[in-house]
Amino acid sequence: MSLELVRVDDRYIHGQVVVGWGRALGADTILLVDDAVSRSPWEQELYRIGVPPEIQLEFTSVAEASQRLAYLANSSKRAIVLLGDVHTLERLCCSAPVIRRVNIGGLHQAPGRKERLPYVFLSDEEALVLRRLRDSGIEVVAQDLPTARAVPVDELL
Amino acid sequence: MKLDQFRAWLRLFTVQGSWNYDRMVGLGLAFSMEPLLRTLSGGKENPRYREGLARAAQFFNAHPYFVGLAAGSLARAEHLGSSREEVDRLRTALVGPLGSVGDRLFWIGWLPLCSALGIVGAALVSPVAGAVLFLALYNVLHLSIRYWTLAVGWRMGPGVAAALGSSVFRRVPGIVAAAAAGAAGFVLPVAAAWLTGDLPQGSRFGTALVLAVCVIVGRWLLPSAGATRVGMAIVAAAAVVGLLWRW
Amino acid sequence: MISGELGWLLLWGTLVGLDLVSLGQIMIARPLVAGTIAGVILGDPVAGASVGVVLELFALDLLPVGAARYPDYGPAAVAAATVAAGSPGMLGLGLAAALGLAMAYLGQWSIHWLRRRNGNDIRRHWAAVEKGDASTIARLHLKAVVRDGFRSAVLTAVGVAVALLLRRYPPVALGGALLLSAAAIGAALGVGSLGALRLASSPHGRWSLAAGLIAGGAWVILR
Repeated sequence: MSLELVRVDDRYIHGQVVVGWGRALGADTILLVDDAVSRSPWEQELYRIGVPPEIQLEFTSVAEASQRLAYLANSSKRAIVLLGDVHTLERLCCSAPVIRRVNIGGLHQAPGRKERLPYVFLSDEEALVLRRLRDSGIEVVAQDLPTARAVPVDELL
Repeated sequence: MKLDQFRAWLRLFTVQGSWNYDRMVGLGLAFSMEPLLRTLSGGKENPRYREGLARAAQFFNAHPYFVGLAAGSLARAEHLGSSREEVDRLRTALVGPLGSVGDRLFWIGWLPLCSALGIVGAALVSPVAGAVLFLALYNVLHLSIRYWTLAVGWRMGPGVAAALGSSVFRRVPGIVAAAAAGAAGFVLPVAAAWLTGDLPQGSRFGTALVLAVCVIVGRWLLPSAGATRVGMAIVAAAAVVGLLWRW
Repeated sequence: MISGELGWLLLWGTLVGLDLVSLGQIMIARPLVAGTIAGVILGDPVAGASVGVVLELFALDLLPVGAARYPDYGPAAVAAATVAAGSPGMLGLGLAAALGLAMAYLGQWSIHWLRRRNGNDIRRHWAAVEKGDASTIARLHLKAVVRDGFRSAVLTAVGVAVALLLRRYPPVALGGALLLSAAAIGAALGVGSLGALRLASSPHGRWSLAAGLIAGGAWVILR
């Protein structure tokens, strides 16, 4: 098993991920799963700037992600998987059974969303998605940094 | 730099002033960008002036020294008449990378490097010399970056990704961090000697013991607690003992 | 203490508190600077710098990444320097550092309070912001900066008041003061070492750290 972290974060690659988690987990690969970004070279260029050279950054669409995840999970790589929202997460969890544990790292204010934690804002519908994932046996926690408390999903719903 | 850009540059020094958990520096970005939107054709009457401000005020976050790049390129995109979707995608795509580059270059690179050199200056030359050395050194890069980010953002507009030249920003932070590690290594024995210079032998032994305990607990026993919390707990425990110690 | 000194301390503490997040970030908020200048105001720069260095070593651990919470060492260093100034040698250092750390922790919570207040205020006027009303945006933003100035001033006032009480009624005897100083210096060096180890996790960092340690050790021994 070397999917070190599967994280939902609408900022994708930023300091908390690269410096906070990347260092703590000794990650060597980041897989960014997003349909629009996987088709957009200039956005990929930007995200690449934020990643140190010792970490390999890969982009994939949601449809192609499950294959890549199965490969990473059985390789010796230490991978961080990044997603931008809970709907993508649900699609991915359905197609990639290797995901057992999920981290909600940052979902911010948008119309219809309510604050659940200082760094987690969810609409009722998104909360429902997380509930479904929990009920299907996936461990869902919210945690912004490795040194912070891992908040169980029940406290967000 | 023209007057409007200078105004925006000054305002960017307050960019985190209204930091909040909902939209982080969104409002600060709108406030800082405002002088750059005034020069839209038709000025404040141009509908893009208000639209652009409202767009800028949505969720945004980045390293404070690099927000200028977003302010410049987003304002330029409004001037060029980019579509709403293009501006939104640009803003979203700038959040993470500008945060990551800034965190790696400054918070875990240049800042600890200058900090360590400042401590060395305080210990070996004089207290005031250490503080002045730190401030001068740190701000040479800080102020240059603030100037460069706004200028390049404004010049390149929506095409700013290409201008960042990813290899420089990918590699330089690692080199600065390695230099910071070296400086931190140098400062530890120097600071230890300076701080314990007046202490009696027994107290110095106690200092060494506490240092060892702190490193062992923080590194191996409770790494998830974070070094600061471990250190604070040790000092709190010592304070309790110290208050009870009556001779 | 002269009332003029008190006024300067309060002004300095407010400025360094603002510098941390809201205004400038030229890093006068770092305890090395905040403590040393507070020491200069109090006529004892060496005491201010020593407690500044102790807190600065603590600050080497920091990772102010994104929205993460972090201690506020600036006003804390001003309060700590007020305890340390004028005490002989390093005797006041431990007590000063202990107060500084407690104030830094309190500062962390005050920042959390500030961010909540900012959020509430902006939410209340969000309709106008979404219309792109420049004067509302400017007013909300600048009010938040002033609010942080208020936070910093109160934090400094509380810290300096406690510091003056500690000077007036010293709570520790000689043995306790020595113990506390030894522990504070040890903990600071420990946290600094952990910070250095973390910096060394970059590709060439380990060798750089080792070289730095050897050079620093040699300097201390040969001098």
